[in-house]
Amino acid sequence: MFPGATDDRDGANFVIVGAPLDASTTFQPGARFGPRRIRHFATTFDDYDHRTGRYFTDCGVHDDGDVHVWDDVREYLEFLEGTVRDVVWDDATPLLLGGEHTVSLAGVRAVEPDVFVCLDAHLDLRDAYDGNPMNHACVTRRILEEPSVEAAIILGARTGSEEEWERANADDVTVVPPEDVSDWLADTDVESLLGGREAYLSVDIDGADPAYAPGTGTMEPFGLDSREMRAVVRAVTPHTTGFDVVEVNDRDDGQAASLGGKLVKEFVYQRAADT
Amino acid sequence: MATQQKEVRDLQEGGYVMIDEAACKINAYSTAKPGKHGSAKARIEAKGVFDEKKRSLSQPVDAKIRVPIIERKQGQVVSVSGDDMQVMDLESYETFTMRIPDGVDASPDDEIEFLEMEGQRKIV
Repeated sequence: MFPGATDDRDGANFVIVGAPLDASTTFQPGARFGPRRIRHFATTFDDYDHRTGRYFTDCGVHDDGDVHVWDDVREYLEFLEGTVRDVVWDDATPLLLGGEHTVSLAGVRAVEPDVFVCLDAHLDLRDAYDGNPMNHACVTRRILEEPSVEAAIILGARTGSEEEWERANADDVTVVPPEDVSDWLADTDVESLLGGREAYLSVDIDGADPAYAPGTGTMEPFGLDSREMRAVVRAVTPHTTGFDVVEVNDRDDGQAASLGGKLVKEFVYQRAADT
Repeated sequence: MATQQKEVRDLQEGGYVMIDEAACKINAYSTAKPGKHGSAKARIEAKGVFDEKKRSLSQPVDAKIRVPIIERKQGQVVSVSGDDMQVMDLESYETFTMRIPDGVDASPDDEIEFLEMEGQRKIV
């Protein structure tokens, strides 16, 4: 159980769902251990948040455990989508713990947001990777194909294939490189940018510089620092109806999982403070 | 309510199931594999036959579940008055009055198909 996620499922404001999918990881495997690691390394965090004056245990968070993974990815995503949709139908906010980034597709299908906002080192705009359109390197492209999704905003992206950068030039994609994220946040009124549209916020932990989060499948240097990640989460949270942290694996001493778990808590505190 | 018992594994999309004491039509059915621990689970998304409300349930595939007995019948419109019409069951020749659903244009002698369950009826 995620520390402090002690509420019952009925009436919870937030429901954590673990999605330990690790099928298409292209370099270092281990994303299947992400949900477990995030829960484990969140044990040291205080219940009380000084900035918002909130106790996590008073925010109404329930941990629904993991949706067991099997090897048919499409079928798994369908079942996961349904599990997340139940959360949405119960008027709660889903907090998905990956797992490879592909699980965001199930989250988005269940939540049906207007805008997909993600922190990510990679564009993930490939049409297919090694012939597989469901590979984690294609997830933002797949999400843009969802009927509800009008646009994607990719913060911290610093790498992609030529084809991906071409796709990123289209009007429905905004890319903010890591060095511009702080200025972008300072200059952007997220509320007017979204214009009343609902967002789904996905945190691919590799958006952070590998110095902050080495425990991830495809590290990419020159990334965001952890406070920049936090600033993005705080700014986007008030407009967000679904949230995930993905691509955390077990190949470090807990840095990636610790950052992921802390961002989950930041999201919850911010939402609680807004309501 | 007339129901029969089935196992969750026997349900399928397009069929019916009781959820929260309401008869529902299943529009999505997906199963999760059990792994080494636990049992295989099924998740069902359905819509109330008579109240149109969306409902879902998640249960082990070997769980017992109630399935409503819904009859699909033929009827004929006998007369129309305002928002109501009188319909004759073409099997039993019983006549009954029912509200004309939105979007349905009913006039005498029209043949209609309806679902019936314990006195509740709905035009297909």
